[in-house]
Amino acid sequence: MWSSRGGKPMISANQTSASDVPPQVPDQVDEAALAEVMRVVPLGAGVLAGTAVALLVLGYLAIYLLVFLPRGPVG
Amino acid sequence: MTEQAAEARERRILGTELLWAFGVGVLIAAVLGVIVFTALTADINPPSNVERIDPKTLHLSGEFAEQNLGTTVGADGGVTVRVIATQFMFVPRCIAVPYGRRVTLRFATPDVIHGLLITGTNVNTMVVPGFVAQVYSEFTRAEDLLMPCHEYCGLGHSDMWATVQVLPESAFKPGQDGRVSCAQR
Repeated sequence: MWSSRGGKPMISANQTSASDVPPQVPDQVDEAALAEVMRVVPLGAGVLAGTAVALLVLGYLAIYLLVFLPRGPVG
Repeated sequence: MTEQAAEARERRILGTELLWAFGVGVLIAAVLGVIVFTALTADINPPSNVERIDPKTLHLSGEFAEQNLGTTVGADGGVTVRVIATQFMFVPRCIAVPYGRRVTLRFATPDVIHGLLITGTNVNTMVVPGFVAQVYSEFTRAEDLLMPCHEYCGLGHSDMWATVQVLPESAFKPGQDGRVSCAQR
């Protein structure tokens, strides 16, 4: 790499960038543990989404039965 | 992970998604069922009055002429309120209604689309040029209720509101012409 004004390089040739080093992270994932996680995660997502939807429906029913119906028809 | 295990996992996830879709379908059917059931058994429906009126001349004669606006008690004792919704006010700005009696509310507009609701009640309708919007209600709270325009109608929209004054029977006294005005306070 050279400076825009030409002349001397900004870094010397023997310096290296961290991006030049390939990642050396070993894959330590245990296949059995991964399978177990993949078994329970959809269940957890279902429980979370189901709880949220159940609360929403309960709110709708509460407003419909306790607020809307007692106010009576208008049309 | 073996290929069979991956396939089994995919099948399980697909089963979960189908189960979720079924549950959502049941909920949608239940909500629609509640609406249809109350419509059929309690006659609770959205306001659906289709009645035409010429927006260019509604203020000149007929029921929406100035002298006919406001609250009127008919010979049969029925209470009718007529209001014009216009940019950017309701005419009249205060409406007197009796407590605990059925009131018919009729609205028309000479200009653009407006909408209104009365707080604490189910009264909630659009007012479309060329049509008379009609709803009815029985007011069960003897107090002043706010009636704002809830359909953006122009720069003065936020200033467009009226008061519905719910009067006890003792204070709801029609004059000789059958008209009732808001009580002065």
